[in-house]
Amino acid sequence: MPSSLSGGREGVSPLGLKNTLAGRDIISCRDLSREDAELVFRLAEEVNSGTIHLEDTLVGRKVALIFVEPSTRTFQSFYVAARSLGAEVLSIHDPAVSSIAKGETLYDTVKMIEGYGVDCIVLRHPARGSARFAAEAASVPVINAGSGSQEHPTQALLDVFTIKSKLGRVDGAKIGMLGDLRYSRTIPSLCYLLAKYNGVEIFFMAPHLLQVRREVELYLSERGVTYRKAVEADEIKEVMPELDVLYVTRIQKERFPDPTEYERVRGSYVVDAKLLSYGRSDLGVMHPLPRVDELSPEVDKLPNAWYFEQARNGLPIRKALLHLVLGGAE
Amino acid sequence: MSSESLLVRKIDWGTVLDHIPAWKGDQVIKLLNLESLKQNPDVSVIVLHNVPSKKLGRKDIVKLYHYMVSEDEAKILALVLPQITINYIRDWKVEKHSPGLPEKIVGKIRCPETTCITNVEREPATTRYIVMKEHGVIACEYCDTLLEIERIPDFLIG
Ligand SMILES: [Zn+2]
Repeated sequence: MPSSLSGGREGVSPLGLKNTLAGRDIISCRDLSREDAELVFRLAEEVNSGTIHLEDTLVGRKVALIFVEPSTRTFQSFYVAARSLGAEVLSIHDPAVSSIAKGETLYDTVKMIEGYGVDCIVLRHPARGSARFAAEAASVPVINAGSGSQEHPTQALLDVFTIKSKLGRVDGAKIGMLGDLRYSRTIPSLCYLLAKYNGVEIFFMAPHLLQVRREVELYLSERGVTYRKAVEADEIKEVMPELDVLYVTRIQKERFPDPTEYERVRGSYVVDAKLLSYGRSDLGVMHPLPRVDELSPEVDKLPNAWYFEQARNGLPIRKALLHLVLGGAE
Repeated sequence: MSSESLLVRKIDWGTVLDHIPAWKGDQVIKLLNLESLKQNPDVSVIVLHNVPSKKLGRKDIVKLYHYMVSEDEAKILALVLPQITINYIRDWKVEKHSPGLPEKIVGKIRCPETTCITNVEREPATTRYIVMKEHGVIACEYCDTLLEIERIPDFLIG
């Protein structure tokens, strides 16, 4: 947590810009300014295009990955990012065999791993609020890699980075979010980050049971972000032509107390060529992956499919973020 | 019977909570968690229900004999029951107290979100809320969940 941790050149990123993220916790997209996000994006862009190499900028540093929930994708992404920057990685991954399964508290796990002299902790945990709690317990920066259904800020960074690079802008973007908006950890983070841009419009396309949580709505309205809800199939069709981006999340059957209600609504939230035909021809389709059957494979070969590129952006974004938070050497 | 005789006898030391909406006196008891004071033999609690009031028509009054409500408790009472007046009595002298709004509430209230870290067994996490009076809610600083101010009595710890 203390900002004195930043090594390398005093508070300066490889872009020559002030490194506003050095030594900071990355808990919530509420805490990130547009400038913070743009700093990560610019560095990720340079990494993508090969003009800046971050390899070995974290040699001699230790990154702990604490994953108290199965998540191979995000774990691997952080693992590869940290290793390619030259950091040593300590991981507590499989809760089934770790001390966490034996009933160790998150608090004790954080204290224990700090004892190994780590410079940063990346945490995935099923409880909402876990990342903030861990950050208060830790003396080193904590990066939230998913806190229950609450937030997933690095996913939102790569999502907005994808929108920016594919659409050419984020300001004024009209973004539809479709599926389970209530239990998806990526949706709140995405909304909080988009709220830092100007004139963004959000369309929440979900059944009543899975509509976005109230604190997300409150955050958006307090910041003057326009949003609308579409619930029924007709409303969804009506909204489609307005969208620049359609962000799809998975609907899980277990979320419905009544299985017949799930069967009734699921069809309205499946993205296929037919649904896309109601949208503009250049509409971008995004998905945090992995998908099940809410996103038809027939979309894969359409130019509208942005999700594979979106997934590829995970690595440069996490490299850039780790480098900045740890104040890596040039 | 005059309203004077309804007010029982005056107390020399303690707190009088007045202008509580009629039949909400028990909510005050819950908010103060007076159950925990049962062990204290010096404390007496007098609850008056449905007393005639010029201001409210009918009201409740809670008299806490030999108990001084703390500043934190006073602020939370004023948040949940904005009409309440709090009078400290010392040696028969009455001192009216107007608590400000709490900016934060630490402990006292359970988070309504079951998956919140503060509800995980054995985890040493104390609840902490930001008060958003203008929206009629408090927000858990850990999990962001909102709780309506009028629902606070349902989530008191202890
Ligand atoms: Zn909470």
